Amino acid sequence: MKNIYEPVTAEIVKVERQSKDVLLFRLRSKGGVPFGTPKRGMHFTPGQFMLAGVWGYGEAPFGIASDPYETEYIELVVRRVGDVTGAMHLLEKGDTMTLRGPYGNGYPLEFFKGSDVILITGGSGIPPIASLIRYIIHNRKDFGMVHLVYGAKTSAGLLMKREISKWKRKIDVTLTVDGPECDWKGKCGFVSDCLTDIKVNPANTVVAMCGPGPMVDSIEQLVNPMGISDRKIFISMERRMQCGVGRCQHCVTGRKYVCTDGPVFNLDEIDRNWD
Amino acid sequence: MWCIKTSEKEKLLTALKGAYDFRDVSSSDLPPKKLFFPEREITFTHLVKDGSVTTPPPPRKFVLYGLSLRDLEAITCLDEIMSAPEKDYYYFRRRRRALLIGVTGEAFDVPPGGDIIISSIDADTSKLLSVTEKGERAIKKHLPRLKKSKSPQAVPVKNDTMPDLRNLLMDAELLKVAVEWSWHGYKKLWEKLSRECLGCGICTYVCPLCHCFAAEDSVALSGDEAVRCRRWDACTLPVFARLGGGEDMHPGLRERYYNWFYHKFVRGYLEFGRSECVACGRCQRDCPARIDIEAVLLDIVSAYSKSAQRRRRYR
Amino acid sequence: MTKRLTIAIYDFTDCEGCEVVLSTLKENLLALEDRFDIVNWRLAQDACKDGPYDVTIIEGTPVTGDEIALLKELREKSGAIVALGACASIAGIPGIMDKGEREKWYKKIYGPEYKPIGVDSLPLAAYVRVEHMIHGCPVNAGELVRTIEELASGKKPKYRDYSVCFDCKEAGNTCRLLNDKICFGPITQGGCKAVCISGGSPCYGCFGLREDANIDGLVRILRWASSPKEIRGHLKIFFNHIPEYKDAFESALKRGRTKRP
Ligand SMILES: Cc1cc2nc3c(=O)[nH]c(=O)nc-3n(C[C@H](O)[C@H](O)[C@H](O)COP(=O)(O)OP(=O)(O)OC[C@H]3O[C@@H](n4cnc5c(N)ncnc54)[C@H](O)[C@@H]3O)c2cc1C
Ligand code: SF4
Ligand code: SF4
Ligand code: SF4
Ligand code: SF4
Ligand code: SF4
Ligand code: FES
Repeated sequence: MKNIYEPVTAEIVKVERQSKDVLLFRLRSKGGVPFGTPKRGMHFTPGQFMLAGVWGYGEAPFGIASDPYETEYIELVVRRVGDVTGAMHLLEKGDTMTLRGPYGNGYPLEFFKGSDVILITGGSGIPPIASLIRYIIHNRKDFGMVHLVYGAKTSAGLLMKREISKWKRKIDVTLTVDGPECDWKGKCGFVSDCLTDIKVNPANTVVAMCGPGPMVDSIEQLVNPMGISDRKIFISMERRMQCGVGRCQHCVTGRKYVCTDGPVFNLDEIDRNWD
Repeated sequence: MWCIKTSEKEKLLTALKGAYDFRDVSSSDLPPKKLFFPEREITFTHLVKDGSVTTPPPPRKFVLYGLSLRDLEAITCLDEIMSAPEKDYYYFRRRRRALLIGVTGEAFDVPPGGDIIISSIDADTSKLLSVTEKGERAIKKHLPRLKKSKSPQAVPVKNDTMPDLRNLLMDAELLKVAVEWSWHGYKKLWEKLSRECLGCGICTYVCPLCHCFAAEDSVALSGDEAVRCRRWDACTLPVFARLGGGEDMHPGLRERYYNWFYHKFVRGYLEFGRSECVACGRCQRDCPARIDIEAVLLDIVSAYSKSAQRRRRYR
Repeated sequence: MTKRLTIAIYDFTDCEGCEVVLSTLKENLLALEDRFDIVNWRLAQDACKDGPYDVTIIEGTPVTGDEIALLKELREKSGAIVALGACASIAGIPGIMDKGEREKWYKKIYGPEYKPIGVDSLPLAAYVRVEHMIHGCPVNAGELVRTIEELASGKKPKYRDYSVCFDCKEAGNTCRLLNDKICFGPITQGGCKAVCISGGSPCYGCFGLREDANIDGLVRILRWASSPKEIRGHLKIFFNHIPEYKDAFESALKRGRTKRP
């Protein structure tokens, strides 16, 4: 019998500081992407997550940030908040982590094809969106207008800046910070304020979000004015997780398990959830 | 099926005691799940010096004796829960090594689970029923000269534990709709229960079907070894639904205790087509706040039935 | 990943129970020299000239002005202070540890003319900021090791989120509350293995209040079979110096008796 809780060991081949409390880890195992048989060239679906861990400290879920077509490695972007993430932040190139996954459903790529795509995220919600953008750029002609709106409290909190500046050649990007800063050339104000500037064709637009809690709470006010139907608004949810396989009960939201039914849900599926 | 005298029963038990680890759970407070899914267990041990990762060895074969019909049913249901979507390694490596023997005075049509069921007929006679091949093999091996008999007449004894809940469970769909409705439709009840419930977790520990768990990692003082362990959790405890950033999706006892019902009667029903409850009566018996889930569910269903909102069905 | 940890251990006024547990730990830690540097085992007034320490474990509670001054000095020199044993720890929840709260305590207990000499014993958190408390009377060896393990591996020590009832069910005890006997298990942090209940006594709550403890709910149950006087008597053992707890109990007692279902 297979032990579904047994992780593989992955080597850290690169660590890159993204901000004061965020690191990016590039991981590989047995000389390549540590899991999965690729489907149509992809090792996972953007929006899926890994349970990454450090022995003695535990495991935690992280959205995969790298390109799904990448065969050499995956990348995780980790904010330091507690035990597991704290231990990860002490790791260096050459150290190892454990990995299980990929888990979850990911964004519905086929459904997105042929549409304009608005991507909305804030702070450390960027990883799964980054992977989605890489997928979109890889298949650019399948999509209409693509617009990333990414906000953070301060410019120091905006992650993956180098990648974003590369993406700018292929998609529209609006970066915003909450308050005014010297040397900041982007926008000021909340993500919601920037959305009003985007021209959308509601009938042919999908929205993909991944946000910190408060942003998700205000999601309705955020996107309702655009007139896009709830079924076309996809959000990656965060819940506490232990098992990743739909058993431990920690990740539930209403009728759904975030680990197996999600983490990506359309708004229509979740807005009647009691929790 | 066999008809056996008490002396033969004793002989079978003695033989089984010799061949297996023998666990008599007939008078245990905790449900039989603990033999497959213990309160805490080490799942992995990691040695720093060579990077090795090991899982503790599985237990010897064992007999689980003295299960009631409802406990057998609960194990059947838990087997299903622990198989979806993939088999739980730690549960099944114990489960596979267990021979389940039910002991009952109740009459039943279809055996609810287990490998062997012993039903008493009168003071000196019992009916011995093999439910699975494993059970049949065990009987043949240890009581080889026994002759099969036609169905002996059992005295039909009724089980009077939670009769009303037992009835409600027949219509799991109604329970699901009513419990789901009650969060908004019967707020008063959840407010009252959240004041009474201590969030102590006892109802979870004694429930034969509750199966949520938490993982705990530790590094030994020597620094040489790391251990991962899983232990029973309970959704009535704090931290259960708390995120890394500190936000709690179930901030108070109201949400926590409601989740207990929601899982068993709504989400569980949607997943497995039945409520995750067998009306065993343990939670009713052991709750220090004397919260009686049978009474609570009757109350919810009756309030729901009276409610004008009953037409506003959920999908 | 883990560095060598300097641990200072002090004991103020205490009793033998914790002594025993602590000396076992001491032997274990001294055997692990490459991981731990143990200093100042016994209380010596001038010993804290050295330092700084990563962690200072303090057992017992100061009862003289000098001891209080020493405690404050230790605070300055320590990365983290861990209070050991119910005498030192029973302040319980971290939420009542900021300075403003502490001053309120003094006034509340001793009046505005408070003089810190020959004082009645108070939990450490009444004098200084305490990072973590290891509960128990005597302190529980397993929890002590767990805390040191967590500190040594760079984690923030955590309190148990479950109640004593988990330990108690694991131990196979019959519930006292169901037999109309007092028990503080449901509102108390687990981890103690429910030794008292297994031994036939009630839980007095020496592990401290757990998070979101439903005191009102417990008192409602206790009142079915016990008088307010009995409940107050039970409280005295560990909760005497924590006005927050006493107040919570008092206000719960004011609600009067409800009918037993
Ligand atoms: C699908 C998904 C994708 C995610 N993607 C990313 C990502 O790409 N990048 C990223 O950085 N994060 C991501 N997260 C969030 C990440 O999983 C969490 O930040 C992570 O689990 C924190 O783990 P930790 O062990 O470091 O923190 P923990 O130590 O578990 O928790 C930290 C906090 O939890 C609380 N807590 C935990 N245990 C206790 C206890 N016993 N008692 C009291 N309080 C307690 C405390 O409030 C503490 O501050 C994602 C989450 C999900 C669900
Ligand atoms: S046993 Fe009773 S008091 Fe304890 S959590 Fe369950 S319902 Fe609440
Ligand atoms: S009666 Fe209570 S303890 Fe028994 S199965 Fe149902 S919920 Fe669980
Ligand atoms: S009802 Fe609650 S305690 Fe029981 S298994 Fe479900 S989540 Fe766990
Ligand atoms: S005796 Fe006390 S600790 Fe044990 S289960 Fe009952 S209330 Fe909980
Ligand atoms: S049972 Fe209660 S009083 Fe006894 S050790 Fe545990 S917490 Fe302390
Ligand atoms: S993480 Fe365990 S059920 Fe989803």
